[in-house]
Amino acid sequence: MKAFFVHTYVLTKRSIVVLLRNPLTILPNLFISVFFLFVYTGGLSGIAQLPQFEGADYLSFILPVSIVSAAIGGAGGAGQELVRDLESGYFARLLQTPVTRLAIVLGPIIAGMLQLLVQTSLILGLAFLLGLQVEAGLGGVLVLLLFAVGWGLAFAGYSVTVALKAKNAQAAQAGTLIFFPLLFLSTTFVPLELIEAGWLRTAAVINPTTYLLEGMRSVLIDGWVWQPLVTGFLVVGAACVVTISLSVISARRAFSRE
Amino acid sequence: MTKGTIVVDHLVKTYKDKFTAVNDVSFTVGKGECFAFLGPNGAGKSTTVKVLTTLSRLTSGSVTISGIDVDEDPEKVRWEIGVVLQDTGLDSNLTARELLELQGRIFHLSGKEASFRAEELLAVVGLTEEADRTSKKFSGGMKRRLDLAMTLVHRPGILFLDEPTTGLDPLNRKSIWKEIRRLNREEGTTVFLTTQYLEEADELADQIQIISGGKIVAGGTPAELKQSIGKDVISMQFVSETEAKKAREVLNKRDVFLIENDIRVTEEKASAALPVILRELQEFGLEPAALSVAEPTLDDVFIQVTGSSEGAS
Repeated sequence: MKAFFVHTYVLTKRSIVVLLRNPLTILPNLFISVFFLFVYTGGLSGIAQLPQFEGADYLSFILPVSIVSAAIGGAGGAGQELVRDLESGYFARLLQTPVTRLAIVLGPIIAGMLQLLVQTSLILGLAFLLGLQVEAGLGGVLVLLLFAVGWGLAFAGYSVTVALKAKNAQAAQAGTLIFFPLLFLSTTFVPLELIEAGWLRTAAVINPTTYLLEGMRSVLIDGWVWQPLVTGFLVVGAACVVTISLSVISARRAFSRE
Repeated sequence: MTKGTIVVDHLVKTYKDKFTAVNDVSFTVGKGECFAFLGPNGAGKSTTVKVLTTLSRLTSGSVTISGIDVDEDPEKVRWEIGVVLQDTGLDSNLTARELLELQGRIFHLSGKEASFRAEELLAVVGLTEEADRTSKKFSGGMKRRLDLAMTLVHRPGILFLDEPTTGLDPLNRKSIWKEIRRLNREEGTTVFLTTQYLEEADELADQIQIISGGKIVAGGTPAELKQSIGKDVISMQFVSETEAKKAREVLNKRDVFLIENDIRVTEEKASAALPVILRELQEFGLEPAALSVAEPTLDDVFIQVTGSSEGAS
């Protein structure tokens, strides 16, 4: 058991060192998230006048989109790091040591979560500078962070699954394309009632991101309302269970001896 | 004591696609021995190493490392062995020191012990000066040396080296040889080496087994192997391959081997046979451009038992 913690700790540390040495792998994602925040609040805030927004501030409405985008980016890094290890042969070298197998996968995931927390905090900080007010107070901010980490974990599970299956950078990169439908086929810019195209509305209802956004928006705009929070956490939890299980299965395959 | 020993008994490895890479191979390596596994490309060397080092499962037969069954307890075997694979396995974003310390921590050293051991090993492989550079800036030779250092972190009793010097320049090759010899002779580490360089096996090994097509075709000490040919080798070079082929036709009653423009004839006594051979060639208007007589080398053994010139260096 001690070995498990030590191995997870040293491999997480390694992932963080690697992240810090390659700031360019972090910056684009952070840039996109900040970009979303500025451009959409700047360009679209007028539509918050519509009655469907029920008087909500557009900054509060769009902030969760920015956070989700940061979360997905941070979590996707976990899979990318595993692909790098597979390609460099470091993965094979680790398999020849008595390292706890789980730590090989957990290291990059935990590092990704930490990256995600830092990014989310930066974005929140910016939003506060722009005049953000969280209806549910400090507890609401914690809820936001919890949603970000939960969603990040689900996406990390997905990216690790793809990485261990594909075993090459191009395929893993292609796997991150899911980012776009996941983020934009949802109530990204306007509430569900304002989405006119039937197919997009259906997509938004199916897309788990919708429930995540609603959960986050509820603490930002309405304060403590339980229904969207519970639904949001259930959806995020279910997504985690599915993707983490898949990643465990593909990891077991990658660790098995031919 | 079985520590430091390798016992391979009727090992068979068949892949999912029904390809049998290793077919009924048996050998024993004693503690402190330097064993060389020699063979042309695709002979089954790397597959054998993968099975012996727990990366691959065997189909039948048995393998014990330091008395531990690799199939039953691979986890325990990993503590006994150090493995240098054909391709280095380094995280290019970490420095040499970080990689060594990380490896130490994985093998249950404390932070302090790991950093002490890293310092020690950096000196051993001559990378102290480069300790804090990331390994992506390293040359091929430096990467190999770092890779070797990483496998030594836990002081394994048995060291596996899969073609450790392939692609290295002569200077780097010599320095790796020196280190292997030191580990073997001074620290008593058992060394299992695969190579396609015959001089490497000749230089380092106490015991050589030659594998071809998944089967062992010859084995013994370097001297025994050379003696098994026990004959002199006459090498003749011709100006063209056509001439060399013609010469092979002329001499086809003898033990002849052709490599491009070269003909090798194995004879009991070269001094007696040579004038006769030259006369026979002359009758057909053939004359070698260069000629030499030598005692058999491992090259000759290799060619004879594998029927291949592929591994000749």
